[in-house]
Amino acid sequence: MNAALSLRERSEAEAARLPPLLARAEHLAGTVLLGDHGRRRAGLGDDFWQYRPAQTGDSKRMIDHRRSARGDQQYVREREWQIAQSVMLWVDQGASMRFSSDKNLPPKADRARLLGLATSILLVRGGERVGLTGTTLPPRRGNAQIIRLAEAWSKDEAEDYAPPEHRAMIPHSRAVFISDFLGDQDEVELALTKAADRGVRGVLLQVLDPKEETFPYRGRTIFESIGGSLRHETLKAGDLRERYLDRLARRKDSLLQLCRATGWQLGLHHTGDSAQAALLWLYRALDGGTR
Amino acid sequence: MTVIAGIGFTAPWILLGLLALPVLWIILRAVPPAPIRRLFPAVTLLLGLQDDESVSDRTPWWLLLLRMLAAAALIIGLAGPVLNPSRDETGTGPLLLVFDASWAGASDWSRRLNLIDTQLTEAGRAGQPVALLRLSDPEPPVFQSAEAWRSRLPGLMPMPWQPDAALIEMALSSLDTLEGGFDTHWFSDAIDYDGREQLLPALQARGAVTVFQTDAPIIGLLPARYEDGAIQLTATRSRPDGVQSVTILAQGRDPAGNMRMLQSATAEFAEGETQAQTALSLPSELRARITRFELQSLRSAGAITLTDDSLRRREVALIAGNRNREGLELLSPLHYLTQVLIPTADFVDGTLLEVLPAKPDVIVLADVATLSGQEEAELVEWIEQGGLLLRFAGPRMAASDLGRDEEDILLPVRLRSGGRTVGGAMSWGEAKGLAPFAETSPFHGLSVPEDVTVTTQVMAQPDPNLADRAIASLSDGTPLVTRKALGLGQVVLFHVTADAEWSSLPLSGLFVEMLDRLAVASSAKAREEAQLQGTTWAPAQVLDGFGGLSDAGNLAGIDGVLLASGEIGPDLRPGIYENGKQRLALNVLSEEAELSPAVWPANVPVRGQQRNRETPLGGPLLSFALILLVIDVIVSLALSGRLGLARAAALILGAVVASPQGHAQDGAETGFALSSTNELVLAHVLTGDRKVDDVALAGLRGLSDTLFYRTSVEPAAPIGVDLERDELAFFPLLYWPVTPDQPLPSDEAYSKLNAYLRSGGMILFDTRDADIARFGTASPNGRKLQQLAAPLDIPPLEPVPRDHVLTRAFYLLQDFPGRYVGPEVWVEAAPPDAQQIEGMPFRNLNDGVTPVVIGGNDWASAWAVDRNGQALLPVGRGYAGERQRELAHRFGVNLVMHVLTGNYKSDQVHVPALLDRLGQ
Repeated sequence: MNAALSLRERSEAEAARLPPLLARAEHLAGTVLLGDHGRRRAGLGDDFWQYRPAQTGDSKRMIDHRRSARGDQQYVREREWQIAQSVMLWVDQGASMRFSSDKNLPPKADRARLLGLATSILLVRGGERVGLTGTTLPPRRGNAQIIRLAEAWSKDEAEDYAPPEHRAMIPHSRAVFISDFLGDQDEVELALTKAADRGVRGVLLQVLDPKEETFPYRGRTIFESIGGSLRHETLKAGDLRERYLDRLARRKDSLLQLCRATGWQLGLHHTGDSAQAALLWLYRALDGGTR
Repeated sequence: MTVIAGIGFTAPWILLGLLALPVLWIILRAVPPAPIRRLFPAVTLLLGLQDDESVSDRTPWWLLLLRMLAAAALIIGLAGPVLNPSRDETGTGPLLLVFDASWAGASDWSRRLNLIDTQLTEAGRAGQPVALLRLSDPEPPVFQSAEAWRSRLPGLMPMPWQPDAALIEMALSSLDTLEGGFDTHWFSDAIDYDGREQLLPALQARGAVTVFQTDAPIIGLLPARYEDGAIQLTATRSRPDGVQSVTILAQGRDPAGNMRMLQSATAEFAEGETQAQTALSLPSELRARITRFELQSLRSAGAITLTDDSLRRREVALIAGNRNREGLELLSPLHYLTQVLIPTADFVDGTLLEVLPAKPDVIVLADVATLSGQEEAELVEWIEQGGLLLRFAGPRMAASDLGRDEEDILLPVRLRSGGRTVGGAMSWGEAKGLAPFAETSPFHGLSVPEDVTVTTQVMAQPDPNLADRAIASLSDGTPLVTRKALGLGQVVLFHVTADAEWSSLPLSGLFVEMLDRLAVASSAKAREEAQLQGTTWAPAQVLDGFGGLSDAGNLAGIDGVLLASGEIGPDLRPGIYENGKQRLALNVLSEEAELSPAVWPANVPVRGQQRNRETPLGGPLLSFALILLVIDVIVSLALSGRLGLARAAALILGAVVASPQGHAQDGAETGFALSSTNELVLAHVLTGDRKVDDVALAGLRGLSDTLFYRTSVEPAAPIGVDLERDELAFFPLLYWPVTPDQPLPSDEAYSKLNAYLRSGGMILFDTRDADIARFGTASPNGRKLQQLAAPLDIPPLEPVPRDHVLTRAFYLLQDFPGRYVGPEVWVEAAPPDAQQIEGMPFRNLNDGVTPVVIGGNDWASAWAVDRNGQALLPVGRGYAGERQRELAHRFGVNLVMHVLTGNYKSDQVHVPALLDRLGQ
């Protein structure tokens, strides 16, 4: 009884967090107009593509009588081939994402989920199938999938730096990884090479806090990861700044190299910037890839 | 007590602790601050980085400085510092305190008393005997203990006059009664006066003299004069330093008889000027009510000038020789006089004997030649008491024997018989103009217009005193206006008529000015010694040194000569004096008064008045140290990341600033106005039924969300309004769910509602009963709606026609379902002359938004969503129900669009005309 009650309570509290994210994501997605997803070739779809003379092999059913009645030749009405693409997302749920340097800034996880969900909404509206990497939520279409995605992203992971989930990726699908990529570089490399092996192309979006870019700290400081698993003590934080920035630049550079090698795209977003710009970039990056 | 740099210390050796500060500095620097713990995800990039030096960042220099300051303040505070320590500079011998005690020191008298009190305290401490000497009211000084004097200090008052030579003489003689030497503290009022130079050496001969006087210039107000149609006010100051402006207030009785400020004027002293002038132009009604002028916020007798008769509105009696020409107003001999005097005087009507008991200020006799013996006697008595008799000549006077052989008492001069005529058809010569006025004439300074001519006049006999009495003459020297004094009053004769028959003088502006001068001169004249000789004036009210006016009580009467001298002193107090009906104001400053600053020889030390009391500084310093330490704690915590600085600041602010309760109401109102106007806000009327209100709020929330997602209308969270309390003007749309038991709004609320409807607001009435009963009859909600709406200003209604703009303001709609699909929704009826436009599906309707929409479809329930955006109440069944909900939302969107854009969509009716005009 008690356990059930508390479960109910907890799930209600969880559910309460969902709609605002959903609403914000929908509002954000509402600002992007859907692009065209036509394959520019005849195939299965709704939009008219062309009339072509009927050939042997075409069934009588395929003849477009309205067009054919104008002349002697029989025409077949072809439609543009529209195909639904599977897009698989991975949004870092690790503890390191739950960081915001300022109370006016959202945590990185919040921004990452918002962007992921807004992208999903756009993709679903465009008729694509959206899902999570891994086995928990295979790509599906429809609004219900958005709810499931939002639900999946409302759970935090205790682990400090979550490795990219690269299992069960559908070959030749598309993928979106959103994370701060501050964890183990090898895991990212592993995931991307594995994806490339399967012909999966996609987008890496690195979400960073502005303070992670500038490192404005001074004085004797103990730096701790959010989960508390790592710590580093320094006597003069200000002196570390140059070397820290150098390392960060190298980290970004290696990510870029990795992307180039695997045919992915790399984007950088700061939580201090507008989410809309990142969404537009993300959407274009995916869209451009599907052409 | 040790005195260092003007500050005394009770325990100076503690100051040695300051030497330890540098040591403390070094120690504090050496100790590293506690490490700050920071959460930082990118710590992975930091791992393995080594510090270049093993020395940590030191405490920031400003924090060190803060701590040093705290330590220094602590040390100095413990050393017991005292600001303005009293030094034993006064001798131990007897001390004489000398005061000018005149009006000039009254404005800062309390400060002076404080200073004296301090000195008496010191003298008491030193055991010095003290004597007091007031120069404005010298009494023989007696040496007493300082404490005895202290108890008598409050009775020490400034006098409304300056010490003069006679008073100083008295003071000098009283000084002779004192034996031995003594030191003197002279509290000067910073104004020079006669005899000061004699007193100073006498005092210096007995001991050291120290002068205390204020640095600020002394400002006084000179008596008001009435000139050029305005009251001329002059302020004077003792030193011509800098630009300074003073405000002069005119005090008087309002019509209800209460003293209040009637008018104010500002005068500005220019750099280097000791006088500042300003003019106050007032209607004579107001002018007559003024009892005094005073300088704002200066409390001294010199800053006040009392007014007397000279500013009063005069009472004038007009008596004409022949009043038988009734109906010929323009020919009346008094016509021009009446016109001239109307703006400035009150008229007393009646015959001469009737008006005399009323004691008018002026009696005008126009061409009156004969007076009865009684009339003449009473008239003379009246003039001698200060009346002004103004006579005009005329045919009757010229024909009579008045003043022919000997001077008539009521005429200034003897007259020759017949008069003369010049410039006429039957005479030689030309009409005469006026000669310029002589300097002694009261008309001096008035410009003489050339077109004023005199054709006929009565002639004065060339008596010896004629030259003195003529105050205006013609260009050939014959007198035109003559005047003589009679007792306190005077008799003035114009040798021409008061109308335009003999001269063009009454037609000119000069006539007005001359009468004005005469009327004003009549009171000022009373000041002159000759006029006051032999009279006795009783003081009615007297001024004290602070400028307060008190009843004179049984003060003795003053001889007129003394009054005329204007020498204010103990014998002649400034104030209001009365003699019969005449009132005379005697002010502290005469019209020629100048305030000259007191100049002291170089060997006399002159001090400012502010002798600061001893102020122990230990407490403030220790508090300061404590505050610094608290700041240090907060800053240290903030630096080590253990406390958000913002939170600390908020905490401190919260503790310090306790918001006063009185502002709560204001704040709530402002908050309401702000929250309702920062963004567009939908509102519903609070019915008092909790459930209905909740659903209405949820419904409007749902509608707001729908609008937000679908349209460019982005409303903020909706609110419920209390019709009795809240302002309605902020809301474009009011949703009013009708419940059977809601209270009827008050009359004020209804007037607010009607104002709201008239100014473009819209109310959506929802009976929430699916309108099953068709308005009225059976449904309780319908009946309640009728009651609610009866006092409202609602135009004729009709069911929404198919071409109403509500059907296409945003969505195209046919019906307007809510949770129910009711039959009809009612809106303002279209005007009967609305025309169907050819080729258009709708009529040409005029502009405007329907003020009410009435239906029963329970829209709020259909719109209602919970905080998560989920529909709150079911509508219909399955998909059909969702469709109905969608239509309900669309109705809401259309409604808001209609409210916000009016009949914009109806303007499509003009499309054919527009296309036609474009030549399409």
